[in-house]
Amino acid sequence: MNVGVAHSEVNPNTRVMNSRGIWLAYVISVGVLHVVLLSIPFFSVPVVWTLTNVIHNLVMYLLLHTVKGTPFETPDQGKDRLLTHWEQIDYGTQCTSSRKFLSISPVVLYLLTSFYTKYDPAHFLINTASLLSVLLPKLPQFHGVRVFGINKY
Amino acid sequence: INHIVHNGGLYKRPFNEDFEETPMLVAVLTYVGYGVLTLFGYLRDFMRQWKIEKCQNATEREEQKDFVPLYQDFENFYNRNLYMRIRDSWNRPICSVPGAKVDMMERISHDYNWTFTYTGRVIKDIINMGSYNYLGFAQKAGTCQEAAAKVLSQYGAGVCSTRQEMGNLDKHEELEKLVARFLGVESAMAYGMGFATNSMNIPALVGKGCLILSDELNHASLVLGARLSGATIRIFKHNNMQSLEKLLKDAIVHGQPRTRRPWKKILILVEGIYSMEGSIVRLPEVIALKKKYKSYLYLDEAHSIGALGPTGRGVVEYFGLSPEDVDVMMGTFTKSFGAAGGYIGGKKELIDYLRTYSHSAVYATSLSPPVVEQIITSMKCIMGEDGTTVGKARVQQLAENTRYFRRRLKEMGFIIYGNEDSPVVPLMLYMPAKIGAFGREMLKRNIGVVVVGFPATPIIESRARFCLSAAHTKEMLDTALKEISEVGDLLQLKYSRHRLVPLLDRPFDETTYEETED
Repeated sequence: MNVGVAHSEVNPNTRVMNSRGIWLAYVISVGVLHVVLLSIPFFSVPVVWTLTNVIHNLVMYLLLHTVKGTPFETPDQGKDRLLTHWEQIDYGTQCTSSRKFLSISPVVLYLLTSFYTKYDPAHFLINTASLLSVLLPKLPQFHGVRVFGINKY
Repeated sequence: INHIVHNGGLYKRPFNEDFEETPMLVAVLTYVGYGVLTLFGYLRDFMRQWKIEKCQNATEREEQKDFVPLYQDFENFYNRNLYMRIRDSWNRPICSVPGAKVDMMERISHDYNWTFTYTGRVIKDIINMGSYNYLGFAQKAGTCQEAAAKVLSQYGAGVCSTRQEMGNLDKHEELEKLVARFLGVESAMAYGMGFATNSMNIPALVGKGCLILSDELNHASLVLGARLSGATIRIFKHNNMQSLEKLLKDAIVHGQPRTRRPWKKILILVEGIYSMEGSIVRLPEVIALKKKYKSYLYLDEAHSIGALGPTGRGVVEYFGLSPEDVDVMMGTFTKSFGAAGGYIGGKKELIDYLRTYSHSAVYATSLSPPVVEQIITSMKCIMGEDGTTVGKARVQQLAENTRYFRRRLKEMGFIIYGNEDSPVVPLMLYMPAKIGAFGREMLKRNIGVVVVGFPATPIIESRARFCLSAAHTKEMLDTALKEISEVGDLLQLKYSRHRLVPLLDRPFDETTYEETED
């Protein structure tokens, strides 16, 4: 939508993760999710932490690695239409600071979860699988890769 | 960040720009706002797809549902879920001359802005804070209008030809000589459309093998012109001279990307006043850099011509520099002169070259005669050549209005961007809901404003933009300020954490400029 815009940024989606306050908003929203889950009376603390971890990773996978393209028209005739948001960050430059932040935060959550679930084997399996599902797409080698053609178009 | 610069003698007056950072709480709440809107957008899309809700967007015909889709629906997500909700703040139809007060046709929507119907009522005398009417020449009575009416009866409305063929009127020649005299350059050329001036002339000046250094926040016409030219474009941070110098140094040291040959030309594209930020270009530093690294400067004075400087000659006069330092001076007649069109001024060889090589000169129809007469009369009025001091009074009134309005808004506690002397005043709104609310509340109170949000601005910097005019009297400004303050309290827009130290309020007169000259 370079028509009517006040900057020469071709795809504003690439800069959203670098904007002021978004990391804080992200941390706060994970905190709110955790508190909401904690307030449900039937779940014990390990279950709540595993649920937080799994839901966080699921939503992150959905928003960053499934949804493709931009919610508005860009003037480059859709060069980024087949790219997920993760691939669009900073126009594909790898290992920028927001990419590092978004890679480290599931790991931190995983460490906290493993501690609070007392390293129970069942929880461990679920949490590790969930962590891998959200870490693997973030590797630079997986940029633009679509396994088995899922989510290609 | 507050910049008051007295940079080693380059600046003859303090350069006071302020872009206060978004408060952290406000930024977080803005993201929450967009998040909630996105969730509801997905919900509504789901309901539309499963036919629970009627889909009012354009869809393909039943027979074409199995074809490859023409458009991706996700690209329309923002449009149908966010923009549609507050669409009534834009494209408002006005039905009078856009002076200090304007009449607007009232329209209401029964299906949440998908369609509008006119009630037939005309809202009269809305204080116009959105038109680019800096010197108040958008009038329907007065010397300019009479002269234009006379020329209309003499020459007619249309020219029916391009400049190169049969469309070169004596009025155009007169206009160009006048513009050259006004700017202090050797020669000038006028075109029918300001956007076309930029987008069609930059390709004539630079081509492949040249380098364009363009500011981050340049207007779409400059960006389009730069892209059409085929030159390499590098963007420097907004008004940041260190970034520009680094780019210049890299360009000269490393040359063209693969072959390492020297660049054929380096052209710096800047604007006089940036209309979305209200900031003024750091022209003395840009000119110093341009001379040091031997590059060319293209200055787009669309908003600053007539609005800055003691006699309204633009940003070059505002800084006390010589117009010979700027290689290509471009500007438009739309803003301060109440007409339409654009011009380019510079050395005679440059303008003669553009007369033959520019697309707009060769293919586009030339300016319409009554419009030319409006420009001629208004320009003579500003220069004082019509025998009155109306022009000078207007320039001073604009400067006074600017200072007063900005100071009052800052004292009230709003976050205002931009330079103290720029008549464009962006007031920060930040949250998406406040964009729509501000536009509507101001219209209820009979004030028309322009609001902008994401993706036209960065995601956390949505704003309302006021354009001051010499036609605004102090009473109008006071009314507007009172209403803005009321709406600001209602919507909690007074975010600023700088408390302004009240300065001694000197009356603004002719001597204020002379005092700061060396």
